[in-house]
Amino acid sequence: MKSLWKFFQSIKLAIFLIIIITAASILGTLIPQQRPLAEYVSHYGQLAQLFSKLQFTNLYHSWWYIALLFLLTVNITICSLSRLSPKLRKAFHPHLAFESKTLLALKVNNKFYKKTGMASTLEELKKELVSKHYRIQEEDKENKKYLYARKKILGWFGPDILHLGLLIILLGGIISGLIGFRTTLNLMEGQSLQVPNADFMLKLDKFQTDYYPDGAVKDWKSTLSILDNGQTLASKTIEVNHPLSHKGFIFYQSSYGWNWENPTLEILAKSRKDPSFSKKLDVKINEKVSLNHDGTEISVLTFIPDFIIGENNEITTRSLEPNNPAAFIEGWKGEEKIFSGWIFARYPDFAKIHASKETDFTLVLSDYKAAQYSGIQVAKDPGASIVWVGCGLLMFGLMLAFYWPTREVKVLLEESSGKTEITAGGIASKGKDAFQSEFEKIMASIRSSK
Amino acid sequence: MNEATLFLIAFILYFVSALFYFFFRFGKKESLAKTGYGIAAVGLLIHTVALILRIIESGHAPFTNMYESLSFLAWSSVLAYIIIEGVYKIRKIGPYIMLIVIAVMALASSPLMPKEASPLVPALQSYWLWLHVSVTLIGEAFFAIALVTSLMYLAADSREKKGGTLKSGLTAEKLDSISYKCIAIGFPLFTLGGLIFGMIWAFKSWGTYWSWDPKEVWSLITWFVFALYLHTRLVMGWKGRRSAFIAIIGFLAALFTFFGVNYLLASLHSYV
Repeated sequence: MKSLWKFFQSIKLAIFLIIIITAASILGTLIPQQRPLAEYVSHYGQLAQLFSKLQFTNLYHSWWYIALLFLLTVNITICSLSRLSPKLRKAFHPHLAFESKTLLALKVNNKFYKKTGMASTLEELKKELVSKHYRIQEEDKENKKYLYARKKILGWFGPDILHLGLLIILLGGIISGLIGFRTTLNLMEGQSLQVPNADFMLKLDKFQTDYYPDGAVKDWKSTLSILDNGQTLASKTIEVNHPLSHKGFIFYQSSYGWNWENPTLEILAKSRKDPSFSKKLDVKINEKVSLNHDGTEISVLTFIPDFIIGENNEITTRSLEPNNPAAFIEGWKGEEKIFSGWIFARYPDFAKIHASKETDFTLVLSDYKAAQYSGIQVAKDPGASIVWVGCGLLMFGLMLAFYWPTREVKVLLEESSGKTEITAGGIASKGKDAFQSEFEKIMASIRSSK
Repeated sequence: MNEATLFLIAFILYFVSALFYFFFRFGKKESLAKTGYGIAAVGLLIHTVALILRIIESGHAPFTNMYESLSFLAWSSVLAYIIIEGVYKIRKIGPYIMLIVIAVMALASSPLMPKEASPLVPALQSYWLWLHVSVTLIGEAFFAIALVTSLMYLAADSREKKGGTLKSGLTAEKLDSISYKCIAIGFPLFTLGGLIFGMIWAFKSWGTYWSWDPKEVWSLITWFVFALYLHTRLVMGWKGRRSAFIAIIGFLAALFTFFGVNYLLASLHSYV
């Protein structure tokens, strides 16, 4: 147990762990993470199996990476604890009986005699130190007077506070990993859905996309309501970077899309023989619409927003963006199918219509509309607020450690043959030059006073 | 006067300042360095006006593409140098800092960098853009000064070992201590701006404060390297050559976080 403690107390272990974790982290940025195995096989060949076995493909969540972080956590904890108790003792129960030898061994020191008595010299010293914001402790022992003055004592604990902050951040991370969750709800305007793991529903009242004059997207805005048994508990228009919070759940604007299952299409029909004939038809999927008076009807069987022919010659969509909208249409005369085929919004001349009889019509997919949905990311992450507390402590500790250097002045007064012998020494953890000049000023003022 | 003209004037002033610093470097006249310092300060002032004009013109923070980010990085580096020289009076590092500033300005003005101010994509419309990027880049500017002092330390140290002194008259020990002081400023700024503000913003816009994105991981790596610098120095008492090497590696990691991730690795952060 003792040797284990000693092992984890070592700063060299910390250095070693930081180097290993850094190297592992670099590796994780070089190998793309969390992709399908097939992608690794095509990229790395035989190495792919090895990478997957060593969890290089999901490195930051691998058991060995987490184990390294755990070891570092234990190391930080034990390092800090073992340094803390001597510091606490020094802060609250300092040892005042120092020897003049040890004072003179300090980098900043001074020794001189004064003809005034010990008591008055002591008073002057105290006054001088207090005016420079030092706090003073004193002790009498065997005709010697010990004076111990210090300031900015919190600076000693800067490293402890910042390491505590780091531990709290890691704790927050663990809590996020264990009980935090994220999911996406796709909502159409007017639709409401049950929020997972919650006792309320989320309703999308309105969804809107704002554009810049040049057509680029400026913002997506969703007006959301929180519903409980039909009652509106909260309502807010969220946008990117401005989420809605309710009972620990946060709702973010994360994506948008169209419901292409049920679009409304506009088809422009023209006649070859009669150039004056032109008709716009609003068509829904599987709905027959009459084309002209002779009983010809058309219907749309399928709509594809981003038409592409896949590897196995199947027709599919590449994305949910309307990049290459296409509709499969059929033409009927009574019970007889007279033509069928694909028409494309972007390529009106590319229509692939197979007709059983000569037809007179050209059909163009002139417009397509679908209800837009808003992708709302729902997150509940109780670890986050713990992380912010840790971040606060980390910064506070860093500032103390760098910019709040503790200063100590130790003075020993002795009576020798009617004179007062004054031996003083000082320690500053940082800003040594500034401290030295302060120390010298204090000594000079004592020496020169009557 | 428009932003581009002011940027060019600042660029020219930095160049003239560098010339004075180099004359001082080889001529040893203190007044030359003081003139160089003054010119750099005027350049910084004009550069500041250029940045403000850019903000007014575009209506958003001046670091949303490579040109703007580089211009801001150069501005931060001059600012950091003006502060460090003002406090520690180490004029001899001036020529090299100004050389880096000129290189960054030249890169920013290269035709490869798109300069037009484009409207912000939704994810970047947040005041956290200001806080996150500006604080991080100012922190990194101090790392850049630590890079120069560390490189100069290595030169001074090898010369002192041969019994000579650096022409500049700066002792190796002084350079080592300035490196530390720059890191003592840069590290808290980088922690706050790069990591903490970054996490808060990520949480506000993506719903998660950490997603192991390559840019996040690389800023963590940078942070680890400087943490290593501080621990070896403050706890184990390392100084000099070894410290200088770690500071140089730290700067390279910061540089890779800034550039390399954008160009070489796929990242959520590829806005710039």
